[in-house]
Amino acid sequence: MRRILGIVLAVLLLGGVAFVLVTNGPQDKGTAPKTVRGVIGSEKGEFFADPDVVKALAAQGLTVNTETSGSWDMEQLPLKGYDFAFPASKGPADELRAKAPDKAVAAPLRPFYSPLVVVAHSNAARVLAANGLAALGARGTSGILRMDAYLAAVRADRGWQQLKGADKHTELSGTLFITSTDPLASSSGALYLAAAGYVADGGRVADGSQAVGRTAPLLRKLTRVQGAQQTNSDAPFRDFVSGVGNPLVLVYESQVAAQLLAGRPMGDLVVLYPDTTVNSDHTLVPLTEAGKELGRLLSEDPELRRLAVRHGFRPQGAAPEFTEATDPYGAYLNQTLTGVRQAPVPTGTVLRDMARRARDQGDPA
Amino acid sequence: MRNPVRPRGRLFAALALGLALTATAGSCSSPAGPGPGPATGTAAAPGTLRVLASSELADMAPVLEDAREATGVTVRATYAGTLDAVERIASGQAEKEYDAVWLSSNDYLRLRPDTAGRITSETPVMTSPVALGVRPAAVARLGWDPRKVTWSQLHRAVADGELTYGMTDPKRSNSGFSALVSVASGLSGAQSALTDADVRRATPKLRAFFTGQQLTSGSSGWLATAYARRTDVDALVNYESVLLSTPGDLTVIRPADGVVTADYPLTLLTAAPDAAKESARRLTTYLRTPEAQRRITATTLRRPVVAGVDPAPRLDRDLRRELPFPGSRSVADGLLDAYDNTLRRPSRTVYVLDTSGSMAGARLDRLKTALAELTGDFRDREEVTLMPFGTAVKRDATRTYTVDPKDPAKARDALRADAGRLTASGGTAIYSSLTEAYRGLGAAPRSTFTSVVLMTDGENTDGMAGDGFDAFYRALPEAQRHTPVFPILFGDSDRSELDRIADLTGGKVFDATRGSLDGAFEEIRGYQ
Repeated sequence: MRRILGIVLAVLLLGGVAFVLVTNGPQDKGTAPKTVRGVIGSEKGEFFADPDVVKALAAQGLTVNTETSGSWDMEQLPLKGYDFAFPASKGPADELRAKAPDKAVAAPLRPFYSPLVVVAHSNAARVLAANGLAALGARGTSGILRMDAYLAAVRADRGWQQLKGADKHTELSGTLFITSTDPLASSSGALYLAAAGYVADGGRVADGSQAVGRTAPLLRKLTRVQGAQQTNSDAPFRDFVSGVGNPLVLVYESQVAAQLLAGRPMGDLVVLYPDTTVNSDHTLVPLTEAGKELGRLLSEDPELRRLAVRHGFRPQGAAPEFTEATDPYGAYLNQTLTGVRQAPVPTGTVLRDMARRARDQGDPA
Repeated sequence: MRNPVRPRGRLFAALALGLALTATAGSCSSPAGPGPGPATGTAAAPGTLRVLASSELADMAPVLEDAREATGVTVRATYAGTLDAVERIASGQAEKEYDAVWLSSNDYLRLRPDTAGRITSETPVMTSPVALGVRPAAVARLGWDPRKVTWSQLHRAVADGELTYGMTDPKRSNSGFSALVSVASGLSGAQSALTDADVRRATPKLRAFFTGQQLTSGSSGWLATAYARRTDVDALVNYESVLLSTPGDLTVIRPADGVVTADYPLTLLTAAPDAAKESARRLTTYLRTPEAQRRITATTLRRPVVAGVDPAPRLDRDLRRELPFPGSRSVADGLLDAYDNTLRRPSRTVYVLDTSGSMAGARLDRLKTALAELTGDFRDREEVTLMPFGTAVKRDATRTYTVDPKDPAKARDALRADAGRLTASGGTAIYSSLTEAYRGLGAAPRSTFTSVVLMTDGENTDGMAGDGFDAFYRALPEAQRHTPVFPILFGDSDRSELDRIADLTGGKVFDATRGSLDGAFEEIRGYQ
């Protein structure tokens, strides 16, 4: 009898422990919030700084501290002490996972994504359209960038001065190029090369050294004309907003959408969707259980999904949240991505090879 | 053969070592620190962000005061030139003393692979292009429409002797470096990022352009002061924000064929403590609010980076082409090297060195070491005089050398040998020695930068008195009065006496009692 009672007690106790484990955290408002530290791509900085996001996470028992880094630069950081890393695409996420101390925890989660777009000042967009490099929508605030025509212009070292209509605008001179980030440091820069390489190689996704070799001279040209490149996607966008920098800048759609959703006037900004582009799958790599919990919440919690939309991201899966919220901004955003093809992204290793060969300065071999 | 672009493994190891060292230094230095508590030294303190910053950011004080009220974060800034700061980050020194760096631009920083793992969270806060501020009278004389002036026109005006200007040293200051990149792009006709070939092609035009540079400086603050003393210099090269804040209503010209723009990224050092990182995050979030951005543009005349906030009304809204910053260190360093050794006007400097009896022993040894260190730094075509003095100038030991580009080691070796032979004896004849330095330099030809460096460890005891020197200086022809004296505070020298000499001649005092003598000599290089 005593023995049976003992077993019953033990079961009850275990159950109690399990009960505590299950309920501790999320619903248990009594305990102190758990602090989760992570490194994120700069494009998600404002999302995590948003007081409503902080509040929504706190309601789930989490305080999240972040610092930003170029996605590919993350693996250079000492990961000890971080609960998660949140780069802007799968490639760096794969490498971070390989470095993670606990592989079982580190299964990546992809709560939201955003296509790469090009922002242009309206003078530049109109000149591109007049020369067949772009097609603008009725209001002239968004359109499609013809990647084939653009890459042909780059191959021919075309300058703005050779495009008709450019002479009316002082700022449109010098070689025509899109500003992107350092592909060795930052995800958007590498994804730009992936999209360009895919178009240049006749719609084939690079699968190895030979394929990379075929497009390397063009990719090197796309990179070299830019000179020094920034290591995160926030900086060139801020330059653009400030009215300085190159008239064509590669950014995430989310960066523009976030400004629109905040009700900010966009000045003379035009959003050009490349007809072949790449989606940036923002990928969270958990390094601890707490990091994993954060990834789950970002993917599943309705409030956090809604807040992700506020910052311009498209939640994974059917996302009526995004369509609904961005409805008033159809003049800038291509909600259904009509006329935009997704280029598949090469594996992390191939993409690194592409980036290295594109950045290679001075050595033509 | 292909060079590995980033040696990641080694870098990571170096970084880990850097972290370990910092932790050690931090744990033993705080208890041993000299009294006054966390507000002075370089120790971390809660709610305080220790920032290594570009000197022109001093104008952010009112904005940062607002930020302190809104966020509780106090910024403690230490000012440094951009390239100096980059060296300190690369060597790991910066992370021992600071949590963040806030430079006008991270472009040069990014060309150094050895800084890659040391920085994180770069947040651009505001922008300002490097431009020319020209006296309205000169604009009228040249018949220019300020909105349409190009680099070629500027070059033409200088070559015709119609335009002179002051600019900071590109090796110390980002505004000088950006100007150098802009003018090299503009005059080479480069259509995209500069290459070595572009720089070579533009060399004759660049050399002509730099004959117009009448003032050089290690910092933009001193440049503005020096400019205010001169009526014969037509223009200043600096950030648009600085030019608009300089008295005299300068007409700002952003050349129509392109500019290089600073974007002031507030950047964390990876090794910073968590609390500091959190402070930085709060601060940058605040600085990016429309309210703070409006305050920034109104107070500092920089351009906002947040959509919907208009630049201050004095800022012209016309767009400009952004000239790409070089993408490789070899091009950037090649350009700096060309500037120093072939493009800029050479300098002529007299080092007036106190070798009185009180210098005997350790002080003289420090002087010899500092001079030996300095000799490696002399540029091609530079003329250097070592003029030691005691009771009077020691004529036998006074010699002048010019660095011959064909054999630069020759003059440097001879200077080093002379420095090694210095001996300490006699009294301290500061003023008589200075007059001899001025006589030695003679009528300063416009084709060189002339200056005098005065190193003394005591008060004037012999020869001419201070009043006598005042009278001597004021009686000099105007061209010779443009030669400044840069006194170095060392040993028991009298601060007020040295301040007076600097004020009189338009120089600046450098303090070697707090830093090192090598450091003071090195800092003065930016002004020569």
